[in-house]
Amino acid sequence: MNEQINPDSSHSIIQVQELRKDFGYLQALSGVSFNLNKGEFLTIFGPNGAGKTTLIKILTGLMRPTSGSANIDGFDALEGNTMLRSRIGVISHATCLYPDLTALENLLFYAKLYGLDDPEERANESINTAGLQLRRYDPIRTFSRGMQQRVAIARATLHDPSVLFLDEPFTGLDLQATSDLKDRLRGLHTGKRTILMTTHDISCGLEMCDRVAIQSRGKFSLFESVDCIDQSNFKNLYTKSLEQ
Amino acid sequence: MNRYLSQVMTIIWKDFITEIKTRELFSSMFIFALLVVIIFIFSINLSLIKASEVGPGVLWVAFLFAGTIGLNRSFMLEKENDCLQGLLLAPMDRTALYFGKLVSNLVFLLIMEVFTLPLFMVFFNIDLLPHLLPLLYVIFVGTLGFCAVGTLLSSLSANLKTRDIMLPILLYPIIIPIIIGSVKMTGQVLAGEPLSSMMNWVSLILCFDIIYIAISIMVIDFVLEE
Repeated sequence: MNEQINPDSSHSIIQVQELRKDFGYLQALSGVSFNLNKGEFLTIFGPNGAGKTTLIKILTGLMRPTSGSANIDGFDALEGNTMLRSRIGVISHATCLYPDLTALENLLFYAKLYGLDDPEERANESINTAGLQLRRYDPIRTFSRGMQQRVAIARATLHDPSVLFLDEPFTGLDLQATSDLKDRLRGLHTGKRTILMTTHDISCGLEMCDRVAIQSRGKFSLFESVDCIDQSNFKNLYTKSLEQ
Repeated sequence: MNRYLSQVMTIIWKDFITEIKTRELFSSMFIFALLVVIIFIFSINLSLIKASEVGPGVLWVAFLFAGTIGLNRSFMLEKENDCLQGLLLAPMDRTALYFGKLVSNLVFLLIMEVFTLPLFMVFFNIDLLPHLLPLLYVIFVGTLGFCAVGTLLSSLSANLKTRDIMLPILLYPIIIPIIIGSVKMTGQVLAGEPLSSMMNWVSLILCFDIIYIAISIMVIDFVLEE
């Protein structure tokens, strides 16, 4: 399927081949394959239990697959390579922020872990970009969900990753926070950064992506360029794909 | 190597700054240790039994139970907001995470133990001051072994639903040699014997410390993997 859309895999920054993951008798992924070029934004839609989070966990080295291969930015994603981890960023509905530490302390902590030059300056820059300079000394515990998500984005992009994984980033956000997050993601979608996002939110997902995939029962039932699909009819297409 | 040490230090810095802000870990461990000592004081008739004979056992039971609370809390902090995932995604060797948590746990436990000693001295009417240095050495090597295996197992049990129950069930049988050795050595130290006369116990505990740390380094990748 992916070969039809993306025949030249030599330019692909993400190459996934026949990825499978079994949890006992349950097959979370049953042969996912796709390629994604540098600078592309892929949105993966799918119902709960489709295996979207499992796919991201495998691609980010947090989980080992049962079989298959995945290559990201020239590194084997399945080996838990530390070099690869310095090139990827992950944002999920969990913020990975320490609630008792301030926003600045959280970012400083991660900047030091990533071995960035001048971590204080980098943390301050990131907090300014997130628009939270007036709250930098406040504990994360006192932040709204939307503000926490802005700090989480700052955390995930501190090291300027070339590949960004977003796992249901809109979960629990109100309309204003969703709009802010979309603006921030548009800012991050530069030609040098590849983004892979999973979401249930069809309008948010379609708005920003270059490629769209539908994942159901552990495999892709659709993988297309967003220009090749009828966006006004996507909800029907999505429902049909799930029924197949 | 510098980067590795810097990452270890960063994890320790984060744990300390969190503890300074919350004071949850020290206060809960210290109060628990104090309660254990008090309960034993009321349940033992010290006019029939010599305090120096039961004291070492009571002291290490207090350290063990209070330390378990600390170890349980250690990785629970990392589970809140899924911070553990953030750590696992960072470009660092997972043994750096282990050593960072090990040193944090060790220092927190040692501080709690140092604060418990004066109370133990008062309640059991044992003068620890003439034996303080060898006693601190025994406490250090015993606590190191306890933390070495406890840190590994707390990272394992953090992913379990029954984490509060599983840590002591997994931990206590494994650390029996260290606790036996520590209790014996503490008794001998309180009886005024020099450390040189108990080299067998010292070697045994140090061997277990090294074995537990080596095993932890070997398996931490698998333990932290989902």
